Amino acid sequence: MKAINQFRNDFENTLNMSEGIIKNIRSKAFEKFISEKFPTRKDEYWKYSDPSSILKLDLNYNDSGILENGNYDIILSNGKIVKTTTKLKSGTIAEGLNNGSIPKNLLKNEKNPFLNLNNAFAINGCYLILDSEEKKDIKILNLISNDGRSQAIYPKLIIIAKENSDSTIFEEIKVKGTGTNFVNSVTDIIIENGANLEHIILDDFAKDTYNISNICVKQKKDSNFISHNFSVGKKLARRDYNIELVGTGANCDLYGLYFVEGNNHIDHHTTIEHKKEHCTSNEHYKGILSGKAVGVFNGRIHVHPKAQKTDAIQNNQNLLLTDDAIIHTKPELEIYADDVKCTHGATVGQLDDKALFYLRTRGLNQKSAQQLLMRAYVGEIIDHIGNRNIRSKIMDIVLNRLPKGD
Amino acid sequence: MLKITNLHASVEGTSILKGIDLEVKAGETHAIMGPNGSGKSTLAQVLAGHDDYEVDKGDISYLGKDLLELDVDERACEGIFLAFQYPVELPGVNNTYFLKSALNAQRKYRGETEIDAMEFMDLISDKIKLLNLKDSLLKRPVNEGFSGGEKKRNEIFQMAVLEPKLALLDETDSGLDIDALRVVAGGVNAMRNEHNATIIVTHYQRLLNYIVPDFVHVLVDGEIINSGDKTLALELEEKGYDKIIEESKG
Repeated sequence: MKAINQFRNDFENTLNMSEGIIKNIRSKAFEKFISEKFPTRKDEYWKYSDPSSILKLDLNYNDSGILENGNYDIILSNGKIVKTTTKLKSGTIAEGLNNGSIPKNLLKNEKNPFLNLNNAFAINGCYLILDSEEKKDIKILNLISNDGRSQAIYPKLIIIAKENSDSTIFEEIKVKGTGTNFVNSVTDIIIENGANLEHIILDDFAKDTYNISNICVKQKKDSNFISHNFSVGKKLARRDYNIELVGTGANCDLYGLYFVEGNNHIDHHTTIEHKKEHCTSNEHYKGILSGKAVGVFNGRIHVHPKAQKTDAIQNNQNLLLTDDAIIHTKPELEIYADDVKCTHGATVGQLDDKALFYLRTRGLNQKSAQQLLMRAYVGEIIDHIGNRNIRSKIMDIVLNRLPKGD
Repeated sequence: MLKITNLHASVEGTSILKGIDLEVKAGETHAIMGPNGSGKSTLAQVLAGHDDYEVDKGDISYLGKDLLELDVDERACEGIFLAFQYPVELPGVNNTYFLKSALNAQRKYRGETEIDAMEFMDLISDKIKLLNLKDSLLKRPVNEGFSGGEKKRNEIFQMAVLEPKLALLDETDSGLDIDALRVVAGGVNAMRNEHNATIIVTHYQRLLNYIVPDFVHVLVDGEIINSGDKTLALELEEKGYDKIIEESKG
C-alpha cells in the first residue's frame, strides 16, 4: 500500500498548485479515488492484468521533465506543456476550464479509479480546440523522461473537434532515461456534429514502466473517429478505449497493432457504446506476441435499446511466435436493440507453414520469409492510415519492431 | 545435372518412394507419369526439400553437390524451382515485392549485386507478356483471388523471372483450359535451352503434346517401372496405367 500513501502525500503537497475550478475538481476526484477499493485481479475488468503491482511501487509525483524541441506542434514533457504554438487554441487544463473551452462536466467523477486518479493530478495537461470547418494536421509529442527515480506521471489531453472540422492528430509517446515510471494517462475527446478526427498513437518501448492509459471519446451526430493505435507491451501496459456514440449516424473505426515480448504484458479493453440509431463501428486489432509475453484483448460492444440499425464489426487476430506466449481474447457483445448487425471474430495462430515453405522455395531464407509474412500481417492495419507520410513512417518503425529471432 | 540413386522417402512413417533412380542432364526434359498416389508429387517435394518428407535411403547429387545437405532456400538459390500443384495464397504480400525479394535473395546468394526497382520492372515487363498475365496481378497479393489458371501462369511467370537451372513442374496442367495450357507450355518452352533441365510431373499425356519430353518415366507405387521416349506417354494414354503395369511385371 506504499503507493496509496504517496498518492495522498503528493496530492496534499500539490493541491495548492491549483486554484479555482480545477482545485475543486481535483479534490473531489481524489476523495472519490481514495474512498474506493483499488482494483485487483478479482475484479472482472482486471482479471488478466494485475493493477495491484503498482501499489508496491515507491512512486513520487514528478512533472519536471526534460525540455525537448522537435518538429511537433505540442510537446508534453512528463505531462507538462513545454511547447505549443499560437496557431493552435490550446493551453493547460486549468486555463481551458477558466476560459470556458472545456465543458465543466467533462472532468466528473468516474467509475474507473484511474480516471479519478488522473483528475486528482490534473495540475498540468493540455487542451486543444479544433476549430469548426477547419482542416488541421497536428503532431504531438508525449514525452516521459526519468533521471533514475521512481515516478508517477499523469499526462492529460483534452481534444475538442468542433462541428465539421477535419483533423489528423499524430501523437508520439517517447520514454527516455532510466528508473521506474507509473504513467497514468487520460485523453478525452469530444467530436461534434459532422466532424472528422483521425487519431494516431505511436507508443514506445520502455523498461520498468507501468502504463494505464484511457482514451474516452464522445461522438455526436454524423461524426467520424478513426483511431490507429500502435502499442507496445511493458511491465504492465493497459490501454482502454471508451467510445460513446451519442449522436445518430456517428462512425468509429478502431485499428490497433500491439507488440509484446519477453516477460511483458499488454492489455486492451475497448468499449463501444452504441447509444443512438444508425451508428457504425468497425474494429480490427492485431497482435504479435513472443517470449513469455501475455496479451489481453477484450472488445465490448454495447448496443442500447434506442440504437436500431447499428452496424458493428469487431475482429481480433493474434500471432503467437513462441509456445510460451499467452493471449486472452474475448469479444463481449451486449445487444438490447432488435434491428442490428453485429459480427465479431477472434483468431490465434502461428505463421503459416505452407506459406513459409512456398517463400523458401523461391530463395528466401527462413528469417526473410518470416519477416515478409509479418510485414503483410502488420500492413493490413497500417494501410488504413490516411496520411501517406505518417503511414510510411509508422511502417518503417513497425518493421524495425518485428521480432528478429528465428 | 541431377542424379538420384536408390531414393527411399516416407511421410509420417509411411514409405512412399521405394528406390528411385533417375539421371537428368542439362538440356533435357523428363516427364514423370503415374497414377494417383504413385509418389510423383512426393518426388517433386523431396527435391524441393519439404521437411514433411523423410529421406530414408539413397543419394541425390545436383551439380556436384549433395542436394540433401541443402536447405529449401539454398536449393532454390542453387537453381531448383518447384512450380506448385496448388500455389499458396499470400494475403498482404505484394506480388512484385515478393518476386523482387526472391530474385535479390538468389542474386545475393550467388554473390551478384541486387537488382534495383527500375531494372526489375524492365525485367518483368518482358516476362509478363510471355505468360499473357494482366499487369494488375503484379500489384495484387500473391495468388490471392487469382483464378486457377492465373495461379498456374503466375508460377511459370515466377520461373521465367528466376531463371532456374532445374525446373520441377508439379501437375502444372491440372485445372488449366486448353488456351491457358498453350500459354503455360509456350512459356516453359521459351525458357528451355542446353543449360537447363525440366522435370514434368503429370497425370495426363495432354501437357506433353505442348512440352515435348526427351524421356518419359512411369512411376508406380514408389518405383520407376518403365522408361522410354515420348512415345511411351502416348502408349500410356492409349492403354492406361493398368496395362503398362501388367506388361512391366511380365
